[in-house]
Amino acid sequence: MAIKYSELVIEHFKNPHNVGTIDKPDASATEGSPACGDQLTVYLKVNSETQIIEDIKFQSYGCASNIATASIITDLAMGRNIEAAKQITWKQAADELGGLPPIKMHCSVLAVDALRSAIKNWEHKHLGKEIDDSLNKKNIVKELQKVIYGQVGVDIVSLKLLKYIGVDEKNNVLLELAIKKDDPFLDDVKNEINERMEKFPKIASVKISLV
Amino acid sequence: MSSKEVYLDSCKTSRLAPEVLDAMMPYLTEKYWYPGSFTSIGTEIAEVIEEAQETVARSMNAKPEEITFTSGGTDANNIAIQGILQANRERGRHFICSNVSHPSVLAVFQGMEKQGFEGTYISANKDGYLNLDELKAAIRPDTILAAFTHVNHILGTIQDVKAIRNILDQADHKIYLFMDSCEAYTKIPLDVEELGIDSLSISVHKFNGPKGMGILYVKKGTEIVPTQFGITRLYKLKPGAINVPGIVGTAKAVEIAFTNFDQNTRSLRELQKLLYDEIMKRIPDAVLNGPPLEERSPAHLNVTFRYIEGEAIMMMLDFNKIHVETGSACSSKDLRPNYILMNTGRTHEESHGSVRFTLDRFVTKEDIPKTVDALEKTAKELRRRSPLGKKEQ
Repeated sequence: MAIKYSELVIEHFKNPHNVGTIDKPDASATEGSPACGDQLTVYLKVNSETQIIEDIKFQSYGCASNIATASIITDLAMGRNIEAAKQITWKQAADELGGLPPIKMHCSVLAVDALRSAIKNWEHKHLGKEIDDSLNKKNIVKELQKVIYGQVGVDIVSLKLLKYIGVDEKNNVLLELAIKKDDPFLDDVKNEINERMEKFPKIASVKISLV
Repeated sequence: MSSKEVYLDSCKTSRLAPEVLDAMMPYLTEKYWYPGSFTSIGTEIAEVIEEAQETVARSMNAKPEEITFTSGGTDANNIAIQGILQANRERGRHFICSNVSHPSVLAVFQGMEKQGFEGTYISANKDGYLNLDELKAAIRPDTILAAFTHVNHILGTIQDVKAIRNILDQADHKIYLFMDSCEAYTKIPLDVEELGIDSLSISVHKFNGPKGMGILYVKKGTEIVPTQFGITRLYKLKPGAINVPGIVGTAKAVEIAFTNFDQNTRSLRELQKLLYDEIMKRIPDAVLNGPPLEERSPAHLNVTFRYIEGEAIMMMLDFNKIHVETGSACSSKDLRPNYILMNTGRTHEESHGSVRFTLDRFVTKEDIPKTVDALEKTAKELRRRSPLGKKEQ
């Protein structure tokens, strides 16, 4: 079956809003990496008194939906205060674009993730909030909720594909996934998981076994 | 397609030549008969099919009876690979293939592995050439078939078939050589005798012929059993209805490709060089994938545009009515980057930004600057949006 983008995705890809950088941003964050796919950087200018996002820009190394989702989340975040901006979800971003094909849903996740990370960095810098990157099950689940199973466009936690999380005393992580070994999306899911797990500075290794 | 479209994706499928359609038309309308004996209508069609077989056979120095028309390249691959493996299974169950073969060939072997056959997949170097030392090492007493892609569909790399044959002949038993020649046929000279090929497959819609047609060559004396069963009106390996218009169209497409073959391929070579030179001259950070131009098929060019992503490039070109293909993971159905590029040592990033241009007789000199104009604008715009490569640029 043909995969098609909505007219809004095409429009945001053709003429994206808020492309570029901010000179001396108050915060920024980069998510994704060219080593395993797309990359997105979000720059913020936040009014420290009102906590309103006064300017937001992005740069994208990615496909049409990556650029379009970055364009829409920057539109959604612009002029909001950071608490409201944190509430923007990837489903909402996809809906605002008139929907995304399931295989492209991960682009929306990346865009929202970059926005939230930039906000976190701002909170860390300006409000002194700690960034919680400790290696525990709760935080691991949070990260794995961003790993999308491309066939249906839903994350592996909601799909109950994640069966077990183990963390030993040496910070080795064991994940059990209910995905068949010849599943065409297995490579992508593994790549995404490994990329997500890099968020934990203390992690020693990640082992993924299929059950 | 409107004449304003620039179609640089003939390796995926190509435009039906108008002469081919003209040749087919009578056989879709008033000459709808089947081949047969004794009757005027039956013998007329039988003679047309014979002529078509002769035309195809002549183009590759084969005998007409060694040619079978199939319903496509995949069909021909299946008939040959399954048929040879099954016919020779008493001698052995081992085959040799490569990790840069066309997916349609790999799929047949994956199927055969489930039926008790065992494969060794040899690798290729950075330009897509098979590592022949690995081929030598892979040969076993029970090896019965080696099968490779003649011209790589992603890189345009031309395999040294004679060298492959020589290695196989060093074994003290017969190892059949099957070539998927879909991208080689009509683009480079192909002489089955000289190259020592036992069987090969060709897809007709890749060279301006009709879709749903393939050519299977099986050298006389090859041990092969049928894998499809039905009424065998023409060929023991391919039973069922005979696509007479398709056969006529195939013969016409072959005739066109091989009339002035040298001039045709020279024209492709000129277009290829022009496209490459213009890209390199006008677009910074463009990297050629695969072997030097003069070594590869004249119809292929594959370039990575660094710091930007291939699906975005492909879509921007599409907005300009220019049609290409990319090896980007974003554009694949399972989010994996192109395996040929990855298996020839490219990084995910290099595969991500790769664009394949494939040429045929309908591409004109005027199409090249139009394409590079659009590419230059696209690269500039996408790089403006990209966080990568800012220091280098």
